[in-house]
Amino acid sequence: MKNKQYRLDIIPGIVLALFSIGYLAMIPQIQTFDGMGATPLTNHFIPTLWGSVLLLLSLWIVVRGLRKRKKFLEEGGKVEKTSFRDALMEKREVAASFLSLTIYVALMGVVGFAPMTVLYVFVQILILTPREKWKKNIVPALVTAVITGCVLFYIFRYMLNVLLPIGILSVFGL
Amino acid sequence: MKRFLSLLLACMMLLSLATGCGGGSDQQTPDDTDAPQTDGTDGTGDTGDTGDTGEAWTPEKTINIYMTHGAGGDTDYMGRQLATALEKILGVSVVVTNVTGSNGATCMQQYKDGETDGYTLIATNTAALNGNEATGMVDFGYDAFEPVAVYGIQSGENIVVPADAPYDDLQSLLDASNANPGQIRYGISTGGGVYIQACVLTNLGGAQFNIIDAGDGAARLTALLGGEVDATSLPYSTAADYIENGQLKSLCTCLSKAPDLLPDQKAASETIPELQIDTEYVVLAPKGTPANIVEALNAAILEATSTDEWKTMVNDYCLQNPFVLNVEETIDNLKNQRELFMSFVPFL
Amino acid sequence: MILEGLMQVLQPMTVVLVAIGVAVGIIFGSIPGLTATMAIVMFLPVTYSMTASEGISMLMALYIGGISGGLISAILLNIPGTPSSVATCFDGKPLADKGEAGKALGTGVVFSFLGTIIGIGLLVILAPVLCDFALKFQAYEYCALALFSLSMVIALTGHDMPKGLISAVLGALLATVGLAPIDSRPRFTFNMYQLNNGFALVVLLIGLFAISEVMAYAESVRQKQDFTIRSNVKIKGVGFTFKEFIGQIRNAAVSAIIGVGIGILPGIGGGVSCMISYTVSKNTSKRRELYGTGIMDGVVASETANNGTIGGAMIPLLSLGIPGDAATAMLLGGLQVHNVAPGPLIYEKNGVVVYAIFFAMVLSAIFMMLFMLLGMRFFISVLKVPKNYLLPVVVVLCAIGAIGNANALFDTYCMVGFGLMSYLMIKAKIPTVPMILGFILGPTFEQNLRRVSQLASSDSFIGHPIFCVLIVATIFVVIFSVRANLKDAKRAQERELAELSQAAGGGDE
Repeated sequence: MKNKQYRLDIIPGIVLALFSIGYLAMIPQIQTFDGMGATPLTNHFIPTLWGSVLLLLSLWIVVRGLRKRKKFLEEGGKVEKTSFRDALMEKREVAASFLSLTIYVALMGVVGFAPMTVLYVFVQILILTPREKWKKNIVPALVTAVITGCVLFYIFRYMLNVLLPIGILSVFGL
Repeated sequence: MKRFLSLLLACMMLLSLATGCGGGSDQQTPDDTDAPQTDGTDGTGDTGDTGDTGEAWTPEKTINIYMTHGAGGDTDYMGRQLATALEKILGVSVVVTNVTGSNGATCMQQYKDGETDGYTLIATNTAALNGNEATGMVDFGYDAFEPVAVYGIQSGENIVVPADAPYDDLQSLLDASNANPGQIRYGISTGGGVYIQACVLTNLGGAQFNIIDAGDGAARLTALLGGEVDATSLPYSTAADYIENGQLKSLCTCLSKAPDLLPDQKAASETIPELQIDTEYVVLAPKGTPANIVEALNAAILEATSTDEWKTMVNDYCLQNPFVLNVEETIDNLKNQRELFMSFVPFL
Repeated sequence: MILEGLMQVLQPMTVVLVAIGVAVGIIFGSIPGLTATMAIVMFLPVTYSMTASEGISMLMALYIGGISGGLISAILLNIPGTPSSVATCFDGKPLADKGEAGKALGTGVVFSFLGTIIGIGLLVILAPVLCDFALKFQAYEYCALALFSLSMVIALTGHDMPKGLISAVLGALLATVGLAPIDSRPRFTFNMYQLNNGFALVVLLIGLFAISEVMAYAESVRQKQDFTIRSNVKIKGVGFTFKEFIGQIRNAAVSAIIGVGIGILPGIGGGVSCMISYTVSKNTSKRRELYGTGIMDGVVASETANNGTIGGAMIPLLSLGIPGDAATAMLLGGLQVHNVAPGPLIYEKNGVVVYAIFFAMVLSAIFMMLFMLLGMRFFISVLKVPKNYLLPVVVVLCAIGAIGNANALFDTYCMVGFGLMSYLMIKAKIPTVPMILGFILGPTFEQNLRRVSQLASSDSFIGHPIFCVLIVATIFVVIFSVRANLKDAKRAQERELAELSQAAGGGDE
């Protein structure tokens, strides 16, 4: 697996380089301020500085990665390929966790904090539980989810005045 | 105290939850704690007699006030005092929630089109409301809301200089700046009320300062004490101690007239008539809130602020006498300030 | 007056309020996503109806409890409870993994207490002198200080310097989103008003540490694992011996001074002080290479410094009326409400309240140590909770923290985004910690650099000795840490090459 080392330089390097180019490209759109008390260094300066530094640093690791790759190939290493699908399957719990988290926050505003929390906690517990143990864990997971959702909603919404979305619970006049 | 107990209870439950929730077998059920605080929420969810003119409106459930500025500041404190006073008059809970950022613009943007049933209100100050429009931070003004009431006025900002500075009033400071153009460093916070004030000093007062950004009130104080700037504007409450112990001196207040409890101060408007930055505390309702609801809330605010208790609080905290306006006066007041602020726009 | 202050604090009601405040503070501090600042925000309105010394005592208790509580989750879950305990994870978690959670917690608690007390001591004795020092810090000095602190990133990153720097620069980049400092013009907001305020530190922290912890666990689900993790943690006394304590005195003293020093300077805060202190401690230690593997020294450095920052931050607050961070800004409001105006006249006008504050701080520190030592067994029981149940609940609490930060749902989206970013960074072997430093210091640097650009025409840097000293110090730090890093990198590269040629020789695995 060690032959992946150089990829950890090349791929992030390219991504970051593209990101910093995009970032730098947006800078001219920033409205500058030339009223009273305007500073000689405008609000473009620091973003330009950080953007350029990031670009240089990412090119640095790309070059470093390419060198490592060359060395690796010279010494007779073979480039192994893993398909995207395999990689995703390998990390399916992570992908599922991110997916459930995204759905959780995306629907929280409409459906409400309490129902979405119950759903999310239940699903996330199962994701984090090995498959063969699901049967044994379904009831405790459900209980934990319901308690977490209800108790936290009640405490934070009504006692600590955090504006957790009520969502569909509003039909009960909450 | 009830509020306090419920907070406490909440925290204890949190602890038990945060540390022991995992097993999930014999946990507390959520309904065995009655929060005493939310007993105003037993309304049936119908939003009252919306729209019918002439009919008196009374609230039936918790009123939410969204506060544009952070806890610890004067706008927040005044809003919370008002909320407490209103609870007694209206008989329902009045809950204040801070939604802060961008000098109040975040909250106003978020709630200007909020529910129009009278249970959603916004508390802010007029300098932020009109100032944000004048400086172009937002593209809406007070007319994007239904103003409910102006209910207080701040002790204001003062133009201050070190005590050993050679000028004693605003005119002499302006003269000094003209004698040595660009030599007197004037500390501002770009974009806020102090910025508007510096623009007025320059464009209408003819000052030739070296304008330097020095940050918020506390940072401007540091800069003035540390000698990084020669003059600046500070909230009276920030500067008071330093004026008293002889480190700083105040040249004038930027309010249209000196605070009621400090009547001897000169006002900047004596030198530059347009220089009037009045920060008044105001309650707004989202656009489209029916007039009868606005009137009813205004009446409640007028009643809540007519007590001796309120007067003592305002005297202590703002160094002002109570200053509460009815709906028409509130709108007029906002309109006048907006016109004044918008007249500064060409040189902002 | 001193006695009167003491009497006010020793009122039964005040003592009870302090105890409650400390307990609540510890809870808020220890739950990831809820911070000391949030605890103060929620309780500040409650204190409006109390007397001045009751209210202030309670706020102080919340502050001290909140900053100290952060170490619990840092050590046990590897998720810092507050920004101030980021560096506590570095050695606290490895210690706990070795089965010495008791030692890690005990060390953290005792040295948090010492840090607080040293901070209070300096506050009481040296406040006037230190205030003059704080006033000397203007745009030039802040600019240099931000550079100096950023140069610590190089020392913090170890052998992979470019990736450490990338992380810090990314942090600074993220901090440019929102209204620009000084002129309040929107940058990179894509016309979304929710972005005008920029990203919140606590939301970034949640994404970087809490979400990534969940994902790290998710990766290991199919591997063989024991669900009851180390329930046999032994605790004896405070977890460490007297001899070990003596060995830490120098480290603690240096860390406390760094903590207080950073506390005095408005606008930097505990998040930076713990990391700088950790880095300094590491680079001046004889056991340099053991840092990060789970030794006391790292926990001592971080926890002494972040609690020292409390006392430090109180100095400009009380003597000048200048708050250093969000928490002290709230305390300022809490004082003003009771007509106590912090500033040069506070001793004359409200001497009793000032002494009451000092005693309340000492009392809070004592309660904090007491509660945390007594609660240690209870805290450690968190390790017995199966992580597949614990982590989802932690995520929910983090989401609440994100919402509560500005009462906006938008922050939860940022939380998920930062979580994803953090996961990808970890996969790419880019360290996430320097990002925090870049994120906090980037705006400080920008703001002051631009002010300097304004001042430079009338006021050259020659008149600013502190500026010059800091710049020279920065150059030294950069040179020394680059040299140290190159040495590390060479060693790492040799190792990597050896492995690489092995892998290449062996073909595909």
